[in-house]
This record gives sequence, structure tokens and C-alpha cells, in this order.
Amino acid sequence: MEKIILIGGEAGLGSAVTSHFIGRIFASLGYYVFNYRDYPSLIRGGHNFNILKISDKPVYSHEYHYDFILALDQKTIDIHKKDLKKGGCVYGAKETEPIVQKLQGPKILANDVLIGLLFKHFGVALNVILTTAEKVFGKNADLIKKAIQEGYQLGCEKEKFSLKANSKPKYFISGTEGMGIGAIAAGLDVYLAYPMTPATSLLIFLAKKQIEHNVLVFQPENEIAVVNAALGASFAGVKAMVGTSGGGFALMAEGLSLAAMTELPLVIYLGQRPAPATGLATQTGQGDLKFALNAGHGEFLRVVLSPGDAQEAVIRTQEAFYLSNKYRIPVILLSDKHLAESNYTFDKIEKSALAANRFILENPLQDYKSYKTTPNGISPRAVPGQGPVVRANSYEHNDYGYTIEDPVWGVKMQDKRFKKLDFLKKEIDKLNPISIYGKGSNLLISHGSTKGAIIDALPQMKNFRFLQISYLKPLPAEIISKEIKKSKKVVLVENSATGSLADVIKEETGITIKNKILRYDGRPFTTEFLMDKLKKI
Amino acid sequence: MTPQDLNTKEANTWCPGCPNSGILNSVKEALSELVNEGKLSIKNTALVTGIGCHGKIFDYLNLNGFNGLHGRVLPVCLGMKLGNPDLTVIGFGGDGDTFDEGVSHFVHACRYNADITMMVHTNQVFALTTGQANAITEKGFIDGSTPLGQGEKPINSIVLALELGATFVARGYALQGPHLKTLIKKAIAHKGFSFIDILQPCIVYHKYSMPYLNKNVYQIEETHDVGNLNQALEKAREWDYSYEKDTKVPAGIFYETTRPTFESQWPQLKTPWYTIDRKIDWSKITKEFL
Repeated sequence: MEKIILIGGEAGLGSAVTSHFIGRIFASLGYYVFNYRDYPSLIRGGHNFNILKISDKPVYSHEYHYDFILALDQKTIDIHKKDLKKGGCVYGAKETEPIVQKLQGPKILANDVLIGLLFKHFGVALNVILTTAEKVFGKNADLIKKAIQEGYQLGCEKEKFSLKANSKPKYFISGTEGMGIGAIAAGLDVYLAYPMTPATSLLIFLAKKQIEHNVLVFQPENEIAVVNAALGASFAGVKAMVGTSGGGFALMAEGLSLAAMTELPLVIYLGQRPAPATGLATQTGQGDLKFALNAGHGEFLRVVLSPGDAQEAVIRTQEAFYLSNKYRIPVILLSDKHLAESNYTFDKIEKSALAANRFILENPLQDYKSYKTTPNGISPRAVPGQGPVVRANSYEHNDYGYTIEDPVWGVKMQDKRFKKLDFLKKEIDKLNPISIYGKGSNLLISHGSTKGAIIDALPQMKNFRFLQISYLKPLPAEIISKEIKKSKKVVLVENSATGSLADVIKEETGITIKNKILRYDGRPFTTEFLMDKLKKI
Repeated sequence: MTPQDLNTKEANTWCPGCPNSGILNSVKEALSELVNEGKLSIKNTALVTGIGCHGKIFDYLNLNGFNGLHGRVLPVCLGMKLGNPDLTVIGFGGDGDTFDEGVSHFVHACRYNADITMMVHTNQVFALTTGQANAITEKGFIDGSTPLGQGEKPINSIVLALELGATFVARGYALQGPHLKTLIKKAIAHKGFSFIDILQPCIVYHKYSMPYLNKNVYQIEETHDVGNLNQALEKAREWDYSYEKDTKVPAGIFYETTRPTFESQWPQLKTPWYTIDRKIDWSKITKEFL
């Protein structure tokens, strides 16, 4: 059983809040939900819409054929009615306006009337909705509750979702929230970011929680300040994270190189959106893959991680902190608008078993060497205030951190930094750097948020396996190569115009992937889009 | 503690006779005196430097330190303070470093009022890259990148700091060591953002400034009211960093006031984060999503 609901209206009319509210109730009733947001870059007006997919089986993507259209304005009906399924319902002003007038409340109450109507349709008990409304909108939700009640009375029960008796409430969580709680679980101390869609939501999520979880959140004057301040904090012993999108990451590139040279831990959250330049500011894309892999001047180690859903976001964020702090290297957590702002449901939310260690010496020797050469290249870390002199240097330096210009130290230090790679690779091998779904003899390859549509499509394409790559740097090239070689047909799926992951795989394995399914209109994949393109390959 | 205790074994590569050595001496004297007076913990002191001749001071001070990128001294200082509020953070920047590449950070540092001290080595050229004009270079200056002559008037960094709300604004002269030392001590002791413009005449690429400054620098009169912003601005405008005619160059404290520090806005910022042993309560973190 599956239902698709579209909620739309001008920006500011409340479609995102309503959609999240409806999704949350279905999740609490034990259903699986996927909530997709689509909105233009404006504050009032325009056309925002959300698509909810509700099912008794796990769902990770949306589609564009609706059982319900909940319209907060006429435009929603005009645009989307063509995609209403046969027998589908449209609720809009006809239903909401008389009630809003009767209650003499603000226009925004139309949302609540629609909520009442919808849940009556599905025979969901009124008290479930009212209790959630109180939880979400606070004790002063009287008018909201009244509007829900009125809507509920107006509706009629037409069908009932059948759900197994043992279906437990589901966790309802976005990719952003996954990264946020992953960071908190990893022991985040300081989060710095300058607002930029789609990374802003993490800034707001963590800012709101800073007192509760004892972290510090600050928005400096620009992304250059963000990355440099984060490194100053990291030097002082902080678990630091910064967040941005492509344009802001471009400004951080010099700082990224500084992180590598100073060997200061830093986690960088990169929420992609279509570019070049300002691009499609509120839409999704994966066009920054090569940029994430190559940004920063000079040659240095980095880890680039790409979670595929909100649960993976939790685990991969924890891993990002672990690896960054243990190996004293920058780690980039790659996401995009689709992962960041979509809501997923899970039976439970797991966290990584990795310890949230600070990797800071407890009692460093007085004769401490900030860049001591060691067999694995990792210099034990001390921080200022502990006693010994601690130094970080953007110039090439000796083991004490003093500036050097001689060729011997230059080579020694570059070798020391790269020595970590073998150890890092071994460690990453244990962290499921790739996942394989399905058993078919053909292979789909992708990374990041495309996972949702692919996983949902997989049951319909029995001759395909799906290889999801979660560690893009260091790339688990051997396993990828093996999987490609044992497959008949290989197809790359990417939210980009060029399919850059194919180039990355070629660079590391020598294998050319000819078949690509690409989407670069700023919209995420759906199973329908994927299946349609696959037929043509 | 003696100033020599802050020495390192690194070879000094400033030009022979460079006034930067005077700044280094004043810093060492100021810090050791503050330690001896019980006002400073050396293990809790950290310096931050940018890139340029000034940045070499990083190698000549046996202190915790971060030698960062060109122009980015102040964000690193800010981050350190957010990372460990117990640290005494001292930034050194060049004038090009601070007022060309990094001017946005200076603007905001004055607003934020974090408890850090920023000393800018003002030599009015990009010396380490062989003498190009910078934001503090006087109009008419000719160099390799500006053969037609510098077209714009320089930024008056003292006026800038005053207008932007810095809570301690002073000017020192690298060749007046004892006076500079006193200014540094006061700047470090000041709670909030302290800015010292240190005149450091370049003896290779800006040769005429040293004799000019030797002749014209004077110490601000004791009658000057450091709590009066208008008086401070008036005093700051006495010299506009140009050399056309002999103008007296005031040195000393222009302005000092108090305002809540940047760090005080976070109630959770009390101890160095690295000393916090976090216990993660996973069910508490995840319960809102159920």
C-alpha cells in the first residue's frame, strides 16, 4: 500500500511545515515515509511544493503521480492536477476558505484544515493528530487544533491504511538532522558556518541545540573566516566542523590546504547544489565531486565521504570526525540538497561503534614535537595550555614546527604526511566503503543521495546490482574494479551533467564506464526517471 | 622569567638593522614582565602570525603558535579563543596582510571585541615580495607593480579601528622599545580587542620612513583623554601615513574603553573544550525524531 501526497503553495504559506507534520504523523503510526521539498530561491510568492510518499514498506524516494493534492493556492492545482492519479483527490480553497473565515483566523490555518481532511480520509483518530499538533506547535495551538478539527469533520473516511499489527513508530529524520546528530555523537565542540543553501539547515539545527548539547555555534563574517577560525579552534583542541555549499567551499580552498599542512583535524560539510557560480540555489546536484576531491593547492591527503541517506549521514559524520582527529587530516562530508532536506524514516537510528576519542595526549612531554615523525606518520597531538610549546605552521617545517627551507626536511615532512595513507586505507576497508545491493549481473554505480531512487527501483530491475560508493577518497578501487569486471553491463548514475564519478573510477582503476544516466536539471532522481533512461541503454 | 627565556635557536633572517628586531625585543620584555608580575601564564599564551616579514616572529618566540595564511591572522585568533577561553591570544600581522588581504576580518574583529591583542607591523610595503605598495602606502609611491605611482590615499588604520569600535587602540614605534613594551603590556592586559599599529619602517623598500619617523614620532600627551572617542579620532588624524611634509606622528594609547567580550555571549564557553569528557546519551539525542 502506497500513497503519494503533494502539498503546494506560495512560499510562506506553510507547505513545508504541513508536509513535515503529515509525514511525522504517518511515521508515528508506523508507516514509512519519504518527504521531498521543492522550492525556488525566494521568500514570499513563487511556488513551493512537497511530495510525501507513504508506504507500509520502506521508501527512500518520491514520485510525481499523486493520490492527493493539498493546495494552498490555485497555482498548485493548475500546475499539478495533470499528475493526479485516477481516483485521486484535490483539496483546496473550496474546502479551506469557509472554515478559515468561520474561525476568523489567519490564512495559514488552511494548512490545518487540509491536515484534518486528509487524516479523516484515512480514518486516523483525531486525538493522534491533535496531540502531535500540540507537540509541534506548542501549547498555544488552540486555533490550529480547531482548524484541524473542522477539517476533520468536513472530511469523510474513505479508506484505511492496512498496517501490520507489530508496526512500530518510525524515526522521521532528514539528512541534515542525521549529520547534526552524527556530529553531536562524535563529540562536536564548535560548528562554524556562513549561511548557504543547502548547508544552512545544519547551521540552524546545531545553533538551536548548542546549549542542550554543550556545543558552540557561530556564524563568522565569511567562509574564509569560517575555515581559518575552525583551524584556530582545532589548534586549541576543539573538535571542529564547518559547513557550506560549493561557492563557500571555493572560498575555503586555501584553508583546506592549510588544514593539511598544519595537520589540524577539520570536518567540512559540503552540501552541493547545481553550479557553476550561484547556479540553481535551492536545487540539488552532485557536480562538485571532483572539486571536493581536488580543491586546495598542493598535494595532500584528505577523506571524502558520501552518505546516501539520513541514517548513513549519522554514521559517516561520526566516521568523519574519527578519521579527521585520529589522522590529523581534513575530511569532507559530501551531501547535496536532496539528501540534506529530504526526510527519511527508519525503524531505529543506529550510531557508529567508533569511539568519540579526542586523540589528544594526556600528559605530553615538555620536549614535545608538534610534527614528530612516526612509523604511521601520525604525530601525537598536544594542545596549547597543556604545558609544552605547541606549534602549527603553514610554511614547511621541521618536527618542532619551525619554518624550514632546506630540501631534506621538505621531503621528510611530505613523506611523513603521506605515510598515513596506507594506514588510513586499511582503516577505511573496515568501515564499509562500498555497499552492494541486489544480485543482478548488471551493475549500477553511484554515490550519495541517488541511493534512494535506485534502492526503490531495484526490485523492478532484477538483472541489476547497485554498487554504492561511500568513500570517494581514498577510493576502494580494488573492490570497485572487481565488481565492474564481473558485471555484464555497467551504468553510472549521477545528478550531474558529466558523470564525474566515471572519470574518478577511470583514474583509479583504468576502467572506462560508457553508460551514464545523468540528471542535471536540479531535480533528484525518481525511480520512474531512472527506469525510463535505463530502457534506452 | 627573562626575555631570553623566550628565545629560540632559529636563525634570524630579517635584514640586518630591520626594526622588526626591536618589536621582537619589546614583545619578549613585555611578556616576561607580565609573567613576573603574575599577570600572564606562558603555557596559556599563543601567538598567531600571518605571512610577510612580520610573520618570521613566529620562529623567534618560544611560545605556542600558529603561523597561518596571509591575511587570516584574526580568524585564527578568534577560533583559538572560541576553542580555549583561557588562552591569551596575541596576533601579529603585516599592514598588507591585515589591511589588504585580510581587511574584512579586521573590520569584524573590531566589532566582535574578542579578548585578543593584534599588533600590526606597519612598514607600508609588501616587503617580502620585494616592495609593492599596500593599503597603508602613501599616495605617489612608485614600485614595480605601480610604476605610475600609487594613486590612492592610504587607509588610516587607527581611524578605522576607532570607527569600527575597537576597545583599545594604540600606536607604537619599533625603535622606541621601552614605550612599545609598555603599550604591549597594556594591550594584553586589556579585556577585549586591542589593536596596536606598530610603525616598522622598512629599511630596504621604504627607506625614507625611518628618518622621518625618528624626527616626527612623539608620545601622546598625558592630558589626552583616552576615554574620549572624538579626541581619539582627532589625534589619529594628525598623521595620515604620508611623507609630503613634516607632520608630527602621535604614538601611545589613542582610546580605551570596555565592552562585553565576544566570548561572553556563549554561556557554554567556560573551559577549554579539550578538557571536557563528553558522555553521549544516544536516546536523548534521537528521541525528537520518533
